[in-house]
Amino acid sequence: MNNFGKLKIKMTQEEQDILRGLQGSTMQKIMKTVVLYGEALGAERLVDIEGDGHLVICIAIPGTGPSLDLLDELITADLKTKYPFTLDPKAPLDFENLSLKPEQEKILMEMYKEQSRYDESMLRLGLRDTDAYTCNPYLPEVGNIPKRGTILAWSESACAIFANSVLGARTNRNGAIMDLLLNIIGKTPLVGLLTDEGRRATWLVQVKTSKLPYPALLGAAIGRKVMADVPFIVGLDRFLGSKLNANTIDYLHEMGAACATFGAVGLYHVENITPEAIDHGTDLLLPDHETYVIDGQALQKLQASYPVLWADNQAKPEKCFIGCPHLSMGQLYWWANKIYEALKVRSKSHLEVQTIICAAPQVLEKFKADELVYERLTRAGVNFSITCPLALFDNDLSAGEAIITNSNKLRAYTTARFFPDEELVGILVNGEIKGGR
Amino acid sequence: MSRAFKGRAILPGNVEGEALVTSMGFNTYASFYMSMHTHTETAECSDSGNQDLYGKNMTNKIICLPKTIGSTSGGAVWQRVAQMGIAPKAMLFSQKIDSLAAGGLIVADVWMGKRIYAVDELGNNFLEHVKNGDWIRVREDGTITIL
Repeated sequence: MNNFGKLKIKMTQEEQDILRGLQGSTMQKIMKTVVLYGEALGAERLVDIEGDGHLVICIAIPGTGPSLDLLDELITADLKTKYPFTLDPKAPLDFENLSLKPEQEKILMEMYKEQSRYDESMLRLGLRDTDAYTCNPYLPEVGNIPKRGTILAWSESACAIFANSVLGARTNRNGAIMDLLLNIIGKTPLVGLLTDEGRRATWLVQVKTSKLPYPALLGAAIGRKVMADVPFIVGLDRFLGSKLNANTIDYLHEMGAACATFGAVGLYHVENITPEAIDHGTDLLLPDHETYVIDGQALQKLQASYPVLWADNQAKPEKCFIGCPHLSMGQLYWWANKIYEALKVRSKSHLEVQTIICAAPQVLEKFKADELVYERLTRAGVNFSITCPLALFDNDLSAGEAIITNSNKLRAYTTARFFPDEELVGILVNGEIKGGR
Repeated sequence: MSRAFKGRAILPGNVEGEALVTSMGFNTYASFYMSMHTHTETAECSDSGNQDLYGKNMTNKIICLPKTIGSTSGGAVWQRVAQMGIAPKAMLFSQKIDSLAAGGLIVADVWMGKRIYAVDELGNNFLEHVKNGDWIRVREDGTITIL
């Protein structure tokens, strides 16, 4: 595929000129990368990106983001993205909030020794501002909210699927590094989820549970089944009502994050709720679609299949992370109320498990302004962080620790154990896992 | 008896190696997570959700898979594992290559000069026939022979 004369993708004169090196060797290399990417995906041509980006590459750990050499090459060529971008959460260096062991802090300091240089590089390449770090960028407090139909080149699997499904914007699931290169050149391959045909559903997913399923389990089940296809989900409006509201948006955000973790789903439609499903209904289903029925038993079985990867399976939970993906304001208040009520019922003032709740800087700033609720939680032993809990596991000192979470995504990538929200509240207050599992 | 399959060469080249097969989506980030961060000499699959590959050595193998899944951080993983010398020799996709694998493998090739050969659209029949340990020959025109 490296013989450019044989490529099927059509290029404009400007794109061909860049590929020949008329805008410099770095732009030439970017265009080469983007054109090969488009060809591999079967794109007819490239199209212009129309809005702000959201990129997954946020931390200076090799393997998680681009190398500093690559960033330096882009900066030396005086390049930046066509539109500003937001990034995934900040590196886990706010130690005062994370209750780490000294040796863990030392390792993280070493791992992230280039982080400030990295952050500075991203600002020079187009990062919107020094607080534009979260995996929930479309919250009103953060404000990276693309309009329906806008062509984007986003990454972060949880964000790309949300932008497509709930906001109705159009992006493919781009990987780290490719996302930056696409947003610099301002073009993305016209293929897949950018096209009307690519947004049609190949699966009918019938949710036949007796109550609203836990979103991170439902999403995991859907992702595993449909893998990279587009599901049209029916049965959720029985519990969520029709159309979008704040609670539904939070639910779909968590469900989508799991869909994208356990599969490669970049878009889902939910009958009577998501914008394209409201407009087109079951006409979105392709005639030869497959059907997947989910009931409560299937979800219970799925949860029971998750292995315990702690060093000591019988250990008491030591630490809990909530907020992967980052919580919204509504979710922060849900946790605040649940924890307060659960402690009150048991006549306790403090949680038994060190708990860290993660959210965007702008969201936490607003939440902290509600001093009564904020102080009530901090007195109960809750810490707040703007980081990504996943990043804390990027060293072998955290592997196997007795960490619990409500995030199926965090569980998938680490040794943390997963419990749905209500069950987790009980564990936090009692300090023990029911049944000693 | 050998058996040949014809796919589309995304990153072409000639290579031979031992097959490592998964019928499930390959979660790139989860699979290389531990190897990348603990600097091991070979990459043992750390994706506990993949019963086909969990714990198996992926370095220098020819991974046969439907497509990759999971976090978009997986895009940067290819660059890293290629640099560390713990990458597979080749990725053979039964389906059309997905955007994360395509982007990551192409970036590793163009920006790092590290080619992990890639062939896609080999068909479900390919995944049904190939078995762990089979010796595989990859040719630059996208022909795959299970020897």
